[in-house]
Amino acid sequence: MSTREIKTDILQGTLDLMVLRTLATMGAQHGFGLAQRIQQISGGMLDLNQGTLYPALLRLEHRGWIRSRWGISENNRRAKFYEITAAGRRQVEKESEDWARTVAIMDRFERLTETE
Amino acid sequence: MPGIWMRLKELIRTTRLDGELDEEMRLHLQLMEEDFRRRGMTEEEARAAARREFGGVAYAKEAYRDQRGFPWIESCAKDVRYALRGLGRSPGFTAAAVLSLALGIGANTAIFSLFHTLMLRMLPVAHPEQLVAIHRTGGWGIGTVSAPLYRLIASRTDLFNGVAATNGVAKVRFTTHAGERDEFAQREYVSGNYFQVLGVQAVAGRLFTGDDNRVPGGHPLAVLSYDLWRNHFAADPAVLGRTLLVDEQPLTVIGVAAPGFHGVAPERRTDVWVPFMMAHFVQVMNPNSWWLMPLGRLRPEVSRPRVQAALALLMQQHLRTIYGERHDSAMRRKALEQRVEIRPGSVGLSMLRDQFGKPLGVLLALVALVLLAACTNVANLLLARGAARQKEIALRLSLGATRGRLLRQALTETLLIAAAGSAVGIGLAAWGVRVIAGFLPEQAGNPFSIAPNLTVLAFTIAISLASALLFGLGPALRSTAINPIAGLRSGGLDRAGRPALRRVLVVAQVAFSVVLMALAGLFGHSLLALRSVDLGFRNQSAITFNLDFPRLWKGNSRAAQEPLLSSLAATPGIYSVSSAFPGLFSGGSSDATVRVPGSARTATEPVDVDRTYVSPRYFETVGAALKGRDFDRNDTAASPKVAVVNQAFVREFLPGEPHPDSRWLSFDDTKPEGGERTFIVGVVQDIRQDGIQQKIAPRVYVPLTQHQDLDFPPDILVRTALPQAAVQSLVRRQLPRIGAGIAVTEWATIRQRIDDSIFEQRLLAMLGGFFGVLALLLAAVGLYGVMSYGMARRSGEIGIRMALGARRADVVGMVLRDALLPVAAGLILGFPLAWAAARAVHSLLFGIEAVDPAAFGGTGAVLVAVALAAAFLPARRAASIDPMRALRHD
Repeated sequence: MSTREIKTDILQGTLDLMVLRTLATMGAQHGFGLAQRIQQISGGMLDLNQGTLYPALLRLEHRGWIRSRWGISENNRRAKFYEITAAGRRQVEKESEDWARTVAIMDRFERLTETE
Repeated sequence: MPGIWMRLKELIRTTRLDGELDEEMRLHLQLMEEDFRRRGMTEEEARAAARREFGGVAYAKEAYRDQRGFPWIESCAKDVRYALRGLGRSPGFTAAAVLSLALGIGANTAIFSLFHTLMLRMLPVAHPEQLVAIHRTGGWGIGTVSAPLYRLIASRTDLFNGVAATNGVAKVRFTTHAGERDEFAQREYVSGNYFQVLGVQAVAGRLFTGDDNRVPGGHPLAVLSYDLWRNHFAADPAVLGRTLLVDEQPLTVIGVAAPGFHGVAPERRTDVWVPFMMAHFVQVMNPNSWWLMPLGRLRPEVSRPRVQAALALLMQQHLRTIYGERHDSAMRRKALEQRVEIRPGSVGLSMLRDQFGKPLGVLLALVALVLLAACTNVANLLLARGAARQKEIALRLSLGATRGRLLRQALTETLLIAAAGSAVGIGLAAWGVRVIAGFLPEQAGNPFSIAPNLTVLAFTIAISLASALLFGLGPALRSTAINPIAGLRSGGLDRAGRPALRRVLVVAQVAFSVVLMALAGLFGHSLLALRSVDLGFRNQSAITFNLDFPRLWKGNSRAAQEPLLSSLAATPGIYSVSSAFPGLFSGGSSDATVRVPGSARTATEPVDVDRTYVSPRYFETVGAALKGRDFDRNDTAASPKVAVVNQAFVREFLPGEPHPDSRWLSFDDTKPEGGERTFIVGVVQDIRQDGIQQKIAPRVYVPLTQHQDLDFPPDILVRTALPQAAVQSLVRRQLPRIGAGIAVTEWATIRQRIDDSIFEQRLLAMLGGFFGVLALLLAAVGLYGVMSYGMARRSGEIGIRMALGARRADVVGMVLRDALLPVAAGLILGFPLAWAAARAVHSLLFGIEAVDPAAFGGTGAVLVAVALAAAFLPARRAASIDPMRALRHD
């Protein structure tokens, strides 16, 4: 229980950005498809409890960054598809910038340790 | 805000959304399994791997649901359902808690709604805070000024941005067409600038201006209230320009005032406004007629003390011009002693407020105490319940419920109790307001707003919330602060701590009861003292009424009613019929200045005496002892003038005179020896004419038959064994024989009029007694509860004591000592408070001291007796404990 909690805590902020990015580039996805893509992109380095995706999707939907609708999947099954909204795209831009800035700052600190 | 919509939908469609989430997750797992199988796993392995990768399904669902909708609303709803179930399981507790709160909240709402109307509600006019009432004190009548004095005040534009005047509101006859059946309307005579000064607009037509009030009798105009216009004329604009008959004056309607404006008296609702120059009952411009109440709008830069000083000067100058040359110094002194007082006018002009304001304040304090007592009682009940549920709470705590969550549930319960209490309380208040209204004399007006009032509602909600916090927070904190392990082990009864908080609450309850009971005792005793005053007449059951003649009868009305009076007098069952002006306890007054030749008191200047005009058999009808002769038919305008005087008259002016009926007085007060003689033919005992607390003053009774010039209709008095309704129907049957359009008004017995004159004292005694008994009951219930609980807790201990040889009497004594300790503490705390309260209400008491031994002694005795009774049952139960069973039960 405790390890899982730590894992999700680390992911919480970043998972939103991963979902938005994936939907922005890949188009509408259902939950399983989305999880597969995220796993693929992370190159298997991310150990994601796929169930935690659903609360995250609801959270993003509440904020108006994604929307969902029921449709038919590639192998003819009823599935709920998620797609990014215009507001979501703006959010991706903003968060990507924030993220890049954070990484840059952290990077400087990393180098600081190396030189000493 | 797409989120809010979505959340709202989620809130409503919970079940469907749960299904969708299930479906979504099931598909996800299936797709994962298929994926794993494609990679070569067996079905079993694939399912296990999928579960592992997905993580806990239930956990994910829970996390999802927590985000859905408005989580706090859902958990609140859950708390409410839980609390309702809990309350439903203990209906006795719920009923007791809700009822005691409802009584407290209802009493407060009822009294506050009255207090709000009379004391707090701002007039619905522009900037009410700038208004001041200019109130005359001393002299004649209440608060009024003459029209010339009003004009002088109104001319001070350096002080005021306008001064309006009103004659107050009177119920008068009113018809839309001549010959139609009369209805009644509330008429207010006002100055021309009344609406302008108040800043009230017209909703139709126009309102008065200064030009509409210049010449006596010259402005037959009327402005209607919005309510009258809507209810009586269906808001028809065609009413403008029509002529109405108001109090027999034909008036042309020129406008309708804005909705919500009902005049400046909070307890009355004006229907029709008329320029005061049209007043017919008074010589409008006579400087000796005091009948107008000015209401001024202060200039913002002028201070109240400055206005007060300026008007005091103006008043003195005016009085000196009018009365300075008067030859009789008694009259002159009375006139010159008059002063003027500036009062806040923002809440309007109210005679009822002047009379009832202080008792109302006391009542408000009383009901606040009642609410406190009720809250204490509910807190006590909640503590008892918390103690009984300790095991359940301990179990829930040990199963992982947080204390915060339990606290929230406990507070939800108290809020529910408070909500139910206020709902029932508002119903009780509606009933209580009717009870109080029943105490108010009819002529006092109706100070109760008909529409539900938002301020009052807000007040009720505020006090309910405050009470919920007051009675709920302590017990909630207390009942959740238990160690789960110890709580479970002790089997539901916390043996470690004594119920100290509950004892403190009992102390508080007793203290509240002491204050309320002592006040009830004081008001009750004061009322008894009032009731036992000798009024000087015995026949309080005499029936009195007044005939209201149309004005064209003026001068002939008294002769016209003679046949009615004689036919009544001839009716079997009616002992005597008479009439008088002013009638007993009617609020009217008449006085005169006289000389009493031979009396040192009137040798240098005449004296002021009260005067009553009566017809024959008056003293017999009211039941007053008369020495000498009564007036009779032979006392006519042509015969020598005669009078009956009261004993106070003899004491004042003819002390030691063995034969007052050999003396005479004179209403011609110009010369010390008097003019025309009025022979004293009898001495009557001192009758309290117009109030129990009124000082007895010298009074002269003169026969109506010798004073045909009296304008006012006398009150008719009937002494009879017949019920009032029978006399009423007799009179109704006779009336048409006299003439059309005559109304019977003011039906009452003298006793009812006396009751009306002391309605504040009666109301205080009745409500005080009711609240006192209520507080006492609550305290008894509280004490009983604490005692019973204490006994249950200590049954083991008592069993051991008895097993070791304690006798029943010892046990009863021990338990009673236990009970009486908090009672004694409550008494010690309560009496100083009661004493302070008694000092505060001292001015409302009659004939007794603030520290009244009867009230205070009675309070102590009653409280101790009730406490003993409440403690005795648990004590007896304790004493009959079977030691073996008590010990085995443990």
